[in-house]
Amino acid sequence: MLKILVCVKQIPDVDLVKMDPETGNLVRAGVPTLTNPLDLNALEAAVQTKEKYGGEVTLITMGPPMAESTLRECLAVGGDDAILISGRPFGGADTLSTSYSIVKASEMKGKFDLIFCGKESLDGATGQMASQLAERFDASQISCCYSIENVADGKIRAVRALEDGKETVEATLPCLITVEKDNFYGRLPNLEAYLGSKKAEITTYTENDIDGLDLNKIGVPGSGTIVPKIYPPELPEPGQIINTGSAKSDAQRLVELLAEKGSI
Amino acid sequence: MMQKSDYKNMWVYIEHDGKTAAPVGLELCCELRKLCDTTGDKLYAVIIGDLPHEEVDKVRECAVDGIIYVSGTGYDYFNTDAYANAFTVLSRKYNPSAIFVGGTINGRDFAPRFAVQLDTGCTSDAMELEYDPETGDIQFIEPAVGGKIMAVITVPELRPQVGTIRPGTFKYAPAGRKAEIEVICEEINFDPEAIRCKHIDFVPDDLDPELDIANADCIVCVGNGLKDSEHLERYRELAKLLGGKIGCTRPLFDRGILPYKLQIGQSGVMVKTKLYISFGVSGAVNHTAGVDADVFVAVDKNPDAQIFNYCDYGIVGDMDTVCDELIELLKARQK
Repeated sequence: MLKILVCVKQIPDVDLVKMDPETGNLVRAGVPTLTNPLDLNALEAAVQTKEKYGGEVTLITMGPPMAESTLRECLAVGGDDAILISGRPFGGADTLSTSYSIVKASEMKGKFDLIFCGKESLDGATGQMASQLAERFDASQISCCYSIENVADGKIRAVRALEDGKETVEATLPCLITVEKDNFYGRLPNLEAYLGSKKAEITTYTENDIDGLDLNKIGVPGSGTIVPKIYPPELPEPGQIINTGSAKSDAQRLVELLAEKGSI
Repeated sequence: MMQKSDYKNMWVYIEHDGKTAAPVGLELCCELRKLCDTTGDKLYAVIIGDLPHEEVDKVRECAVDGIIYVSGTGYDYFNTDAYANAFTVLSRKYNPSAIFVGGTINGRDFAPRFAVQLDTGCTSDAMELEYDPETGDIQFIEPAVGGKIMAVITVPELRPQVGTIRPGTFKYAPAGRKAEIEVICEEINFDPEAIRCKHIDFVPDDLDPELDIANADCIVCVGNGLKDSEHLERYRELAKLLGGKIGCTRPLFDRGILPYKLQIGQSGVMVKTKLYISFGVSGAVNHTAGVDADVFVAVDKNPDAQIFNYCDYGIVGDMDTVCDELIELLKARQK
């Protein structure tokens, strides 16, 4: 039976995050959260794989206690159990330390054959987590997976979507896969799973619960990168706004200007 | 124990397919040349596997101080295991201060992996690189939180500093060949049997001219202001009337309305065009960074939209209405 892990992340709605002009800090308070959309494609790929080849799907995330809602949302789509890594010392982590924490926590549930991840998160958007997880899992990796052809005999055959074509690859298990959404559009929860997800028990690990966890490798101390400064982007001076009173005359004026410029 | 000041020189990985060098490696050499002139580091290009002489010449023209050639087994096709290993082995031997890799699909695949092998910090998608002489750190400056803010990211303690940079971020402007270029040859064999993800075959995508927008004369770009896919047709018509092509911003790809190849911006296609008209585009830095237009027109209903800071001409109004008016006017002109 395949043991399948899906890594998910709860993110703030980036459209609603604002920067406090006084302090230069990001204002996240009161900003709604959502499950990173690309992680739902990863979940779909995992559920399809389970349906076709058999197995058990475990979800894992790291975040504050409220990230539990993301795990329940994913359990309602498909998933047999879920792990939440939560605790102050994990905070402020970059991908180097987050990948360490996730791998150590998942090892509490044994070894996984397949690990699915979204290509990137909409908030951090580094796209680095998957490769770094794969390295720490000592797994092969198939990034930008377009379709899964077969899983058998300790191997997975899949098609990658590259810039200019499709590459078929064959990888040994354990294997970490990031998915393209083309063939892995997220499905809606089914009623039974949805009801179950409300009551499902979620395993929560703090820094004290994970065997062999090196506290120097988690959170800020374990991070390779820091963000010493954020600032609003410097904007160029606004262009010429055409305001002649109506859409029709604005469009007319624009066509004249473009004709003068030789653009049309 | 090595100090971070013991790590010297910056490397650029030259991605290639055995025939030509990918532009991003050359772009990075050009940009890193300037940074190395500030820091006093030497600039090395790293070439794995065989690359024709005339292509290596292009690398030399980017004023590199040296080239590290890697030969050996395991490099016939890109694979994460052998390529990540090559950089880990090289880095442990030569201790560079920084390693830059083009943010292509494969570059983004293997660079974060060797960063873990080297237990160091990795950044992605910087749009500017600066040097802080006080700390000796590179400042990787990149848009964050959907392009609302710029973030400065550094690797304050660990080395090498690893960065992946998207193609088209920096200009290809070779500074000319150095009189002396150091040549280092390294044989690093990776057992082909030990490659865990093996290449089986490759099928190129069919060339659809409508999806090839990088150098289109005119681009009509549709953003998240679009209500739904039924409203898309008029923008296709406008693009056709202008002899141009349609493009989009990330939310439209996320919403499944248009394909990824039409997504304009840092994480999609970088376009160079004569006339660019955006409809319902808010103007996040990630998007505008991908637009190089002779004339830039923006249409959006929000008068405070950031997109108006990037345009030559702007119209505040309903995108569909303005588009329909433009279609009528252009049809009349063509009669």
